[in-house]
Amino acid sequence: METSQANAAWSFEAAAPRACGSGVSREQLTARLGESAARASLGSGLAALTGYVGASHYLLARHDLSQDSGLDFVICSDWPFDVVRRLSGIVAGLNTKSSELEKCLATLQPCFLPMPHDVDLPRGASRSYCAVTFNVGRRRFLLMLLFPEDVILSREGLRDIAVLAGYLVSLKAEIAGRQERECDLTERELECLLWIAEGKTSEEIAVILGISRNTINNYITSVMRKTGTRTRSEAIAHAVRHNLV
Amino acid sequence: MVRIPIDGRFDDNGRAVGNGRGALAATLVTRLQAMQRQINAKSFAVLRVSGGGVVLARKLTCALSNWGASSEVNAHELISVYGEELLQHLDRAPLPVLWDGQGEHQAADASDFAPFTHRLKGRKLSYSGIGFPIRLGARGNGYVVFTGSYIDVSGEQIVDLHGRSAHVMTDMLAADEKQPVKAEALTDREIACLQMASDGHISEEIAEKMGLSVHTVNAYLGAATTKLDSVNRIQAIAKAIRLGYIN
Repeated sequence: METSQANAAWSFEAAAPRACGSGVSREQLTARLGESAARASLGSGLAALTGYVGASHYLLARHDLSQDSGLDFVICSDWPFDVVRRLSGIVAGLNTKSSELEKCLATLQPCFLPMPHDVDLPRGASRSYCAVTFNVGRRRFLLMLLFPEDVILSREGLRDIAVLAGYLVSLKAEIAGRQERECDLTERELECLLWIAEGKTSEEIAVILGISRNTINNYITSVMRKTGTRTRSEAIAHAVRHNLV
Repeated sequence: MVRIPIDGRFDDNGRAVGNGRGALAATLVTRLQAMQRQINAKSFAVLRVSGGGVVLARKLTCALSNWGASSEVNAHELISVYGEELLQHLDRAPLPVLWDGQGEHQAADASDFAPFTHRLKGRKLSYSGIGFPIRLGARGNGYVVFTGSYIDVSGEQIVDLHGRSAHVMTDMLAADEKQPVKAEALTDREIACLQMASDGHISEEIAEKMGLSVHTVNAYLGAATTKLDSVNRIQAIAKAIRLGYIN
C-alpha cells in the first residue's frame, strides 16, 4: 500500500506541469466522479480520471465488438478526430493477436504500445499510447490514453482509474442499453446456443426444451441471420467470442 | 488454518506443502491477509464461478479462505444466502457489494463512496462484509470477499483493493493454466482446421485452402474433438475458444 501510494504521488508530480493534473487527491477525484455520475456525463468523469493519472486524452471503446464496420465501437473520446479515424487500424492488431485466455489475464493490466508512424498526434504527445481493458458484466472495454512525452504513468494509478472507469460505465444506463440492441437475440435463441455449445444436437435440445426439432432449427437459422454467420460452427464461435454463452 | 479445496496442499498449520501451486496459494494468502488488515476485516475468501462454462450450472465456490474451522459453514451460508444475487450482479456491474451482519455493530459502510457500491439487503449473515466482483472474461470470474464485524472503507481503499483483488484472480487463472493438461496437446494442423471451421468454413473449403482432402480435414477435426473431450465439432470449437487454442 505504501509503495502504491508513493508511486501515485510520484506520477502525479511528474504530471504537475499539466494544468488539469495538478493537486487532485484520490478523495477529490472520487467526489468529482460522484458528480459526473449524478449528472450522467461519462465524458467529464473520464476526463477527471485522465487528468488524475497524468495523461492528456482519453478514448473509451468496446473491446469485444467487430472493429470492421465504422467507429460504432468507440463510446466516448476526446482524441483528435484524425487519430480516431485511424483507430480501427490501431486497435485491430491489439484485438486479433490474443486469445480469450490472454485477454482474461490482461484485464486491468495497463500496457504501452507504439502508435503507427504515420499517425499525426497532438504536439508534445508521446508516440506511444497506454491501453488497459476492464469488464462491465459481459462487456469488455478498452480505455486508451494519450499522454505527454515527458510523463511516466504509474501502473497502480492506471489500474485504479480502470477500476473507476468500470464503475462509471456500469452506472451509465445508455451504454448498457446499447448493448442490448447489439446482441438482439431472444432468450430462447440464447438458450439454444447454450445447449449447442455444450455439444447437444437439435434432437436432444428438442427433448430438453420440450419443443419441436424444427422450431430449434428455426431458432438457429434466425441466430445465424442476426449474427451474420454462415454455419452453425461459426454461430457458436461468435457466441463464445462475445461471451453470450 | 487456511483451506484450499482446489487441491488441499496445505498442512494443518497453513503451511504450503509440495509444489509451486501450493507456494502460489501461500503468496496469495499473504497478499490477501495484507488487504484484509488494511480495512480491519477479520477474514478473506475468494469465490470463483464454476460450472465449466455451462451457464445453467454456474455457481460460486469458495476457492481460498482463512475462515479456518468454520470455513465450510461460512462459505455455505454466504453462497446460499447471497450466491444467486452475487452471480447476477457479476453479470451486470463491477460495483463492490456490501452487506451488514446480524449483530448490532456488524455493519459495512463505504461512507463517501456509497453511490459506487451495491448493497445486499437484509441482515442475514453472522458477519458483515464487502465483496469485489471480478470479471476477467470467459474464465476466471468471481469475488474476493472480506468479512468482519465493523467495516468502514473509503473510496480510495475500495479502488486499491479492487485492483489488487483482480490481480489475485488473474494469478489464480494463470496457475490453472499451468496445470498439466490431461489430454494430449492439439497439433498445429488440428488448430488450423478448428480455427477455419470457427470462422464459418465448411470442410470442403478448409480442404481446398490447406491443400488436403476433405477426409483428412474431417479426421483432424475428429481428432481435435476427441482431445478436447467433446461430443462433436461444435462443442470442440466452443471449448477451443474458451481454452485459448483458437481466436
